[in-house]
Amino acid sequence: MNNQTIVSIRNLTKSYGEKEVLKGINLEITPGQIIGYIGPNGAGKSTTVKILCGLISEFSGEIEIFGKDLRKQTLEIKKQVGYIPENAVLYESLTPMEFMEFIGEMRSLNPEQTHKKAEALMSIFEMKPNINQRISTFSKGMRQKVLICSSLLHNPDLIFMDEPLSGLDANSVIMVKEMLTHLAHDGKTIFYSSHLMDVVEKISDRIILIDQGTVIADGSFSDLNKLTNDANLEKMFTRLTGNTNHEEKAEAFINAFEK
Amino acid sequence: MIRFILSLFVPFRWFIEKMGADYNQFIRILQLKLTLDNRRVKSLSRKPENDQKNALILQSLIQALVGIFFGLFLSMVKTPFTFYYFSHLFIMVMMAMTIISEFTNILFDTSENVIIQPLPVKGNTISLARNAHVFIYLSLIAFSLSIASIIVAFVKFGALSGLIFIFTIILNVLFTLFLANILYLGIFRIATGEKLKNLLMYFQVFIAVLFMAGYQIGIKLVDKSNIMNMELPVHWYTFLIPPAFFSGFIEGLSLNNWDVTHLIFIAEALVIPVAAIYITGKYLTPVFNRKLADLELGDRTSKVKTESTGKSFLYRIMSSVFVHEKDEKAAFSLMWKMTGRERLFKQTLLPSYGYFVIMMLLPFLSNPGKLNKISEGDNYLFILYFSVFVVATLPRALLTGANQHAAWIFKSIPLRSPAGFFKGTIKAAFSKFFVPFYIIVVTGLCIIWGIKIIPDAIIAFLVIYLFALLSYYFQDPLFPFVSDKAAAKAGGETIKSLMFLIVGAAFAFLHKSLLHWFSFANLILIPVYVGLIYYVNKVMVYRKIRWKVVDRVNVY
Repeated sequence: MNNQTIVSIRNLTKSYGEKEVLKGINLEITPGQIIGYIGPNGAGKSTTVKILCGLISEFSGEIEIFGKDLRKQTLEIKKQVGYIPENAVLYESLTPMEFMEFIGEMRSLNPEQTHKKAEALMSIFEMKPNINQRISTFSKGMRQKVLICSSLLHNPDLIFMDEPLSGLDANSVIMVKEMLTHLAHDGKTIFYSSHLMDVVEKISDRIILIDQGTVIADGSFSDLNKLTNDANLEKMFTRLTGNTNHEEKAEAFINAFEK
Repeated sequence: MIRFILSLFVPFRWFIEKMGADYNQFIRILQLKLTLDNRRVKSLSRKPENDQKNALILQSLIQALVGIFFGLFLSMVKTPFTFYYFSHLFIMVMMAMTIISEFTNILFDTSENVIIQPLPVKGNTISLARNAHVFIYLSLIAFSLSIASIIVAFVKFGALSGLIFIFTIILNVLFTLFLANILYLGIFRIATGEKLKNLLMYFQVFIAVLFMAGYQIGIKLVDKSNIMNMELPVHWYTFLIPPAFFSGFIEGLSLNNWDVTHLIFIAEALVIPVAAIYITGKYLTPVFNRKLADLELGDRTSKVKTESTGKSFLYRIMSSVFVHEKDEKAAFSLMWKMTGRERLFKQTLLPSYGYFVIMMLLPFLSNPGKLNKISEGDNYLFILYFSVFVVATLPRALLTGANQHAAWIFKSIPLRSPAGFFKGTIKAAFSKFFVPFYIIVVTGLCIIWGIKIIPDAIIAFLVIYLFALLSYYFQDPLFPFVSDKAAAKAGGETIKSLMFLIVGAAFAFLHKSLLHWFSFANLILIPVYVGLIYYVNKVMVYRKIRWKVVDRVNVY
């Protein structure tokens, strides 16, 4: 492993009971990149992200983040990592400010700085007026914004996002995309999973496609395009994950209507 | 069972269609609602994990059992009027209890609206189906509860009387349905959104306490009065009491008694429920539907409240007394806020205050002369220790909430040990919900016994604090407010509370006998308990609450 590697995954496997979800994943990630992690439903995307963030601590294989062993130095790693989960679930009876104050305190940040940073981040999303209202009154997109803000409070070097754009309106999607590019520019690494192929295609420096627990494609879009010659990521995705008979299926669907 | 219930509607097809509903759709919606009911986990069932297939039958069986006890008790009553009066009163009270305690499941259930609303179904069909559903639900309760009384009625007063009794139960259900509609519309008028939900929560707590008080007082009355020969006199206001209409109706018809009194009862029993149904269908249901739609929209229609960011005086005192370590502080301030806002938490905890007050006041109420004598003894010790009763529900209440998937946050931040968070949590809940209450209790006791009790009050306080810590650390280390099943498990809570009382009494005895033995006992007890608390908070909790154990019960 060279000095440039920020995340190194070797032979990662994970089973839930009998079912093997991840079947030997090998990845090396270098800093300052935006990595799009894509794959069909149930491919093991969320599981990978949860393992990398330390939410799931039982797995086999070796994972090193910032050159530290994920099993042994979990706390040191967590200090430099931000995580945005898939479903915006927060303690509903709190306000964004209270929630972020709590996180800041648990991460032993300076309370005043937490306060300032929370306000700054929220006002980027135009949510400053909502900062002292309860989360239970928010829409899904607003909750997602609170999650994004709270995961950036401690200025992490590595950010994991599970479907960060779901539920956001068009303006916010553009905003988050810009934000990710900026963060990557500052040398931060972003690892995110998504189903929005056009977004992944446009902003990712590197695309990793997994299916049934194994990596089946890995590289920048232009790299991948040279090998497969598909017009866009969506076409490549469907071909590689083995669903080529969409037209037949669509036809069967229409036939079912007519009967 | 569902098929049987639905088949009962076949003869009323003409009526349903006359009300402007589509019969087939009506039956389908009803079937959906009943199927959902039948699979719903009831608060009484012990295994919420398993899928309930026959929840309705199970519930009916339990209620029939309750009914048998009541029937046995009633079988001592000689006059039919009194007998039927109490049967109807019992049914009405029990139905009212259910309507209040399960209001979200029955009257306010809007979950299937998402499915039904977009379908081509007329509004009339939906409202009629909803009312029919509540009617079936209440009838099931009414008949399960009164099955024993019906048998007693047949044996005691003959078949005719029994049959009329069955008929009046149906009238009673119709009338209660009307009352429930009125009640909820009244509540709707006062508040909407969050405020409404809070109001209903306090209302439920109040009813729970009232029921407990009624039960206690009822038991006391049974010893004293002679039920066998009890006869209810008919005053002018008797004509205003609903159960009296129905019992008067039964008596009038079965005894073929057509005097003015009975005629009035008969007229009331027939006219009022029918009129009630007419008013419900014609005027109340449309209003109700509109309000229900508002409820679904929630707070978006009303103004959103902004939370104040200041810290209260009590918070500052309590945090300086109870929190000394950095890792507890964040949890303490978070939980201080959340315990004041989480509805399920308050709903689980608050009734125990009422129960405590009733338990402590009853002896005085039944014998007011005692008050002068009591200040001579040292019974205050027991009152002090019995306030542990309030603490008994605290650990379980802290788990109760609707934030099933919010615990991921604790796993994503760098926490060496979760113990600090758990310590801060129980300290916040204890200092916010027990300490002020205890100060009031002690002040009250000081008025009767004088300030000499204060050293004993401190010792009892230490014991109760120790109890609170131990019972919280020894239950499953779930993060706060993540379990909606914790409320369902509260069935075992009564037994646990009693255990707490017994242990509390044991400690009170220990305290009392040590005081009798030598008067400096306090000087020994205080350091012993402080030492134990120190051990629990500094050593034991870190051994007990580790990530390994916490990860096993929580879902991230």
